[in-house]
Amino acid sequence: MSEPRVSPFGDGALLVELGEAIDETLAARARALADAWDAQGEGCAVPAYASVVVRFDPLRLAPAAAETSVLRMAKTLEHLAREPGREIEIPTHYDGPDLVETAERSKLSIEELIATHSGREYRAFFLGFLPGFAYCGVLDPRIVAPRLLRPRERVPAGSVAIADGQTSVYPFNSPGGWRLIGRSDVRIFDLTRDSPALIRPGDRVRFVAR
Amino acid sequence: MMQVVAAGLRATVQDRGRFGHLREGVPPSGPADPHAFAAAQALVGNDAGAAAIEIVGGAFAFRCDDARIVAVTGRDVAIRGRDRVPGWTAAFARPGETFTVVSGERSRFAYLALSGGIATEPILGSRSAFLPAGIGRPLGAGEALPLGPARLDVERAGRSAPVPDYDTGQIRAITGPHAQRFTDEAEFLFFSSEFRVEPASDRMGTRLSGPRIAAREGEILTSGVVAGAVQIPWGGSPIVLGAEHQATGGYPVIATVISADLGLVAQRLPGERLRFARVDRGLAIAALRDARAGLGSIA
Repeated sequence: MSEPRVSPFGDGALLVELGEAIDETLAARARALADAWDAQGEGCAVPAYASVVVRFDPLRLAPAAAETSVLRMAKTLEHLAREPGREIEIPTHYDGPDLVETAERSKLSIEELIATHSGREYRAFFLGFLPGFAYCGVLDPRIVAPRLLRPRERVPAGSVAIADGQTSVYPFNSPGGWRLIGRSDVRIFDLTRDSPALIRPGDRVRFVAR
Repeated sequence: MMQVVAAGLRATVQDRGRFGHLREGVPPSGPADPHAFAAAQALVGNDAGAAAIEIVGGAFAFRCDDARIVAVTGRDVAIRGRDRVPGWTAAFARPGETFTVVSGERSRFAYLALSGGIATEPILGSRSAFLPAGIGRPLGAGEALPLGPARLDVERAGRSAPVPDYDTGQIRAITGPHAQRFTDEAEFLFFSSEFRVEPASDRMGTRLSGPRIAAREGEILTSGVVAGAVQIPWGGSPIVLGAEHQATGGYPVIATVISADLGLVAQRLPGERLRFARVDRGLAIAALRDARAGLGSIA
């Protein structure tokens, strides 16, 4: 692994870039580095595909010391054990408003699109955008499709969606630019649960056609 | 208890922010103007971790069951009980005395702190409201909020904190972290132009219009972001992320506003102008140290 690239992100954070690809190994390294940073107790870390943003109070920890510290942590992650992750099933009604068009542009029948989307296990790389919104991937290359040119002002909660190489479920009604291929009744983010987010980073996610 | 007599346009409970659940995609929330919030807490003698009320527009009125020290901070604010007390000044609130937070024409976010702090039940480790996810709710007239215990320090009444220069349009920022995504010309344009605050600005971010700032071709991978990050979406109109920013973002960030100046951005009104001045990280930290020291001397 090459040395991570560390850049200042304002006065109280660093952006640590581990690579530039969407793959499971990089995302797992990012999560492990975020865990190591959190354990240090200087502030919280946010992992994504191939990067981690680490926060700290610059009046308690000098940025130069934070950089040294995070680079040292990154080195100790070289022999990272692959996390098993939990297995999460999302029962899905494949009847989203973009289903037909997405099948057409992939040159697949609707049945083939459903079989392709529900036919593989995805890894939740990280959560962002909205509470509980998990960036899961990667999609079968045949159904990779770009985001909508005009994002919708309101995507209903529970919408099962794809964009680029990823898939997710919208936890809340919100604006959104992903292609809606189905919907699920499961509560993606529920404050009454001990862990409100149904899908956690590192989990293995499967969509089951209903 | 504190009784809400009138709630104004939108008032919510906020503490420093909810930083422990960013990894589940939960925005930090917390005050849009962190310095004004911290000053209000310091004036009434609360810890930095206590909760206060953020008020957006309209008249917010309240009374307390027992005697408290209260303070209002923000841009162009004051508080009126029996007497009118200027903003950024601690006042003594008698039991049952009704106070109204007076927001002037240039007011955007006002902070009301009461000694003892707002003692609502924390959700996911924080009392900050995040309305889109049903965390907390807008306060309504007739509502009663629990307050924490506080030793009544009458001496505090009349103490004041320096008011930041909210009328300045000069916002200090550190370049990056995606500076390599912009040409020298784009960066020069960004740091030398005047931008206008758009009406769509809110707690998530301050939207700007002005010259189009173009990023180089190519996508960037989504990464974590921080308040103050100046994102450049494909249209080229910058967005300065605010307290309620999403945990991650997928647009290149040309510069990041320094912590000490976050409130100066949030408090700009639609139609007002601002400029970004490039500073280095050392200066940013010195400015933060000065701001905290200023509050330390009144606490």
